[in-house]
Amino acid sequence: MKPRTEALLRLFAVQASYTYERMAGIGVGHASAPLLRDVFATRSVRERREAVARSADFFNSHPYLAGVAVGAEVRAEQDGVSGAVISRLRTALSGPLGSIGDQLIWAGWVPALVGIGLIAAPWVGIWAIVGIVLVHNLLRLWITAWGLDLGLREGLRVGAALQRSWLPRVADDAQRIAAFAVGVAVPIVARRVLLPAPAIEATVAIGAATLGVVLSLLPATRFRVNGLRFGLVLLGVAILLVGGLR
Amino acid sequence: MIVSPLPFALTLLWGTVVGLDLVSVPQGLLSRPLVAATVAGLLLGDMASGLLAGMVLELYALDVLPIGASRYPDFSVAAVAGGVAAALVPDALAVGIAGLVGLPMAALGGWTLQKLRRRNAVSVQRRLERVAHGDGRAIWELQRNGFLRDAVRSFALALLGVGVAILVAVIPWDRFSHARFLSWAVAAGGIAAALGGAIRSAGSGGRRHWLAVGLATGIFAVVMLR
Repeated sequence: MKPRTEALLRLFAVQASYTYERMAGIGVGHASAPLLRDVFATRSVRERREAVARSADFFNSHPYLAGVAVGAEVRAEQDGVSGAVISRLRTALSGPLGSIGDQLIWAGWVPALVGIGLIAAPWVGIWAIVGIVLVHNLLRLWITAWGLDLGLREGLRVGAALQRSWLPRVADDAQRIAAFAVGVAVPIVARRVLLPAPAIEATVAIGAATLGVVLSLLPATRFRVNGLRFGLVLLGVAILLVGGLR
Repeated sequence: MIVSPLPFALTLLWGTVVGLDLVSVPQGLLSRPLVAATVAGLLLGDMASGLLAGMVLELYALDVLPIGASRYPDFSVAAVAGGVAAALVPDALAVGIAGLVGLPMAALGGWTLQKLRRRNAVSVQRRLERVAHGDGRAIWELQRNGFLRDAVRSFALALLGVGVAILVAVIPWDRFSHARFLSWAVAAGGIAAALGGAIRSAGSGGRRHWLAVGLATGIFAVVMLR
């Protein structure tokens, strides 16, 4: 297998040994290994080992964009850049790659796709799910490969290349689409679930949901009232009200 | 309700796969409740109930941003358990029982993720010297062990979740006078989670307008569908 292909595959498991101390550092080291082996094939073992050790240091970014850092670091090693500069490059890339990735993927394309799946599922059933999983994984493969190639091409200049790229603009668009899709999906799911409810019970449920939204947005409560906790409280109340056996 | 061995084994396998998908590999959307619960329902022969459970649990998952070191609930295996529960109870109670099983499982799953990461850190500490000397074999061992640990975590959660789902389904829920309240409670919590999360994540700029337009569109569609 070619080193680039092997690195690309390994990038899918970049968080397999995630820790709070090194974050995805070990995974990045694992993904960099095939490329570093190739780069250092004609150099000393000591140089290669130093590069491998650097590649497994602390690193945090969005996992789908970790390839940018892997590529840039390997290219810098290939260009003979000093270890200190490469370590600074990793540190400098962590913030932007995490921030853009979170905006584009966690707050953008994933909720957008899931929202579309929720809208379509009542009509097309499992095909909605097959569709969003396929689209997501094609995008995932493409952006991982794109990031790795960008890093390998740009090396130390990768920060500027990221700023010039389509990522920041598309991240904003993806979040708008996500907001719209989730907005459409919520009433559709609510209707699907609450349709059999008598009017008074459906009204109480909508009222409870509204209370939950307000509580989760109040400055004094927003860190304590999340969706899961509020749902568990409502479940507790419902259990008290289910009544005895008929 | 008796679940035959093959679907039981398949749901455990599916639970392990989606648990791994959440963080370790490949993060391919399989761990989203909409996907995980629907497939769980399909494996037990009632995809429609699994889909319904997945739709509601997905509303809760939309409130979660799995960013960096933040601590978040794990809805992946929880949704498999919820999908199994939904498939085993009468249709009218599917959402309520899926939430009853799935929501506590999500909280438990989040806790196990923190434990897993701490255990990974201990493993790194043990090989710190080798990693610092650029030993590729040590890095590979850490990746392999992290993957195996997460597989064990996911399998154990799946075993517990599916087991609880089967036990909960044995309860004659349709004989309780107001068992349907469970479904309304789970739905209300889900709506609050998805909307609260969407408003927070939309910030104060243009994205909030897009959310409002989406909501208006959704409400219009619901009214037209009546």
